[in-house]
Amino acid sequence: MRSEWGQVAEQADRLQEIRLRANQPVTVLMDNKEWFLSKEGGFTQDMSYASYSGEKELEAILTHVCHYSIYAFTDEIRQGFMTIPGGHRIGLSGQVIMEDRNQVRNLKYIRYLNIRIAHEIKGVSDPLLPGLYDDKGEPYNTLLISPPGCGKTTMLRDLVRNVSNGNSYGRGVNVSVVDERSEIAGSYLGIAQNDVGIRTDVLDGCPKTEGMMMLIRAMAPRVLAVDELGSDGDVQALRTASGCGCKLFATIHGSSLEEVKYKKFMSGVIADKLFDRYVVLTRKNGNCEVEGVYTGEGVRCLN
Amino acid sequence: MFKLVGIVCILVGCTGWGINRITEERSRVQHLREMIRIIKRIQDEISYGKRTLPQICLTLSEYCNVLYQPYFKKIYEQMNQGSGISLEQIWGQQMGQCLHHAPLSEEEKDILRNLPQNLGIQEEKLQAKSIGQSMEYLVRQCRKAEDAYDNRARMILSVSVLMGVFLTILLL
Repeated sequence: MRSEWGQVAEQADRLQEIRLRANQPVTVLMDNKEWFLSKEGGFTQDMSYASYSGEKELEAILTHVCHYSIYAFTDEIRQGFMTIPGGHRIGLSGQVIMEDRNQVRNLKYIRYLNIRIAHEIKGVSDPLLPGLYDDKGEPYNTLLISPPGCGKTTMLRDLVRNVSNGNSYGRGVNVSVVDERSEIAGSYLGIAQNDVGIRTDVLDGCPKTEGMMMLIRAMAPRVLAVDELGSDGDVQALRTASGCGCKLFATIHGSSLEEVKYKKFMSGVIADKLFDRYVVLTRKNGNCEVEGVYTGEGVRCLN
Repeated sequence: MFKLVGIVCILVGCTGWGINRITEERSRVQHLREMIRIIKRIQDEISYGKRTLPQICLTLSEYCNVLYQPYFKKIYEQMNQGSGISLEQIWGQQMGQCLHHAPLSEEEKDILRNLPQNLGIQEEKLQAKSIGQSMEYLVRQCRKAEDAYDNRARMILSVSVLMGVFLTILLL
């Protein structure tokens, strides 16, 4: 199996995604373009030359990824994804085993794997820093707004690293991250695989609402960072955290500040000016970029 | 004078043979006890710690008897190399070498050599239980070996000394 993957591994920097499905051709997403893995080990657009992944290969990959200790990864399997060294994520799908109260107990016959290659882009948040600190060098409560796949988690990770390590706009402070889906720090066996800074504590795999309160009580952070706000509970926990004197970094799906305002659970947040800065990311001509940084009143303050 | 030296040699040789047999029996008990301790630790690490097997091997390389330590360290190192060789192969090879000269039956050696074949259960408690079945067998064997050692140690020593005396008389 390894011989087929040699050329793919050489292109690791350009790889975005590898999809393996039982008895289907292996597809690779590279530079936003889909390719098939060829039988000779290269890339091809011709499906007749494509290499197919079998059930046994999928099982072998999963067993290897789990270090032959599937029992140690039951929680991850139940959630449908695993993080591996390097911060890469493997999405899993198969047949679900349910238990009482309609909860997913486990996955069996895992026949679909989606390997998402993590690309840490250090320095991506550097141009934003002047707009995200006040005159006293304190970071502002900041909300990153972005459509899916536009780099909000990458941006948040780099922001956390910058604030934790310190930079020319403010000294380094203790940052706590609630990493519900192991996307920010990419923790593997409890150790952050991505650089999230020297003063950062990570609570991995914990729901945001519980995690925020746990971290405030346990780690006394100066800044609290969470990814993908999505419910009233998340917002309520953010309000509590803000009341405890923490600065907040959060992300949310959306294409503009206006769109976020109309999300039911966010309407009060924006009216109450819980956040001092909004960073809007957008996709233009296939590239992701910062559309603008806005103040709590919605006034553009950094282009 | 030569006769006296011959008598001493025969007596020492026979007694030495007896002591060697006793040491072997004791070593067998010690090996079985150590294997039980190792499997128990693996069980605990799986059910309470939910640690992966390579990590457990690292723990065992510091925890278990010095005879076993380097082999567990090697398993851990080879697993981390990511060479594509399966755990079953690495484990089997290292444990095979480790137990090669151990005074154990093939069936007993297989318990530890083939341990990774029992892995792959997706639930830590069930996984630990499955390993526990191998341990039950070893516990039974160990008990038998301990009983046999207690009963046979003195007998072997007495027989070996008597055999020396008998040979001496015969040769005189």
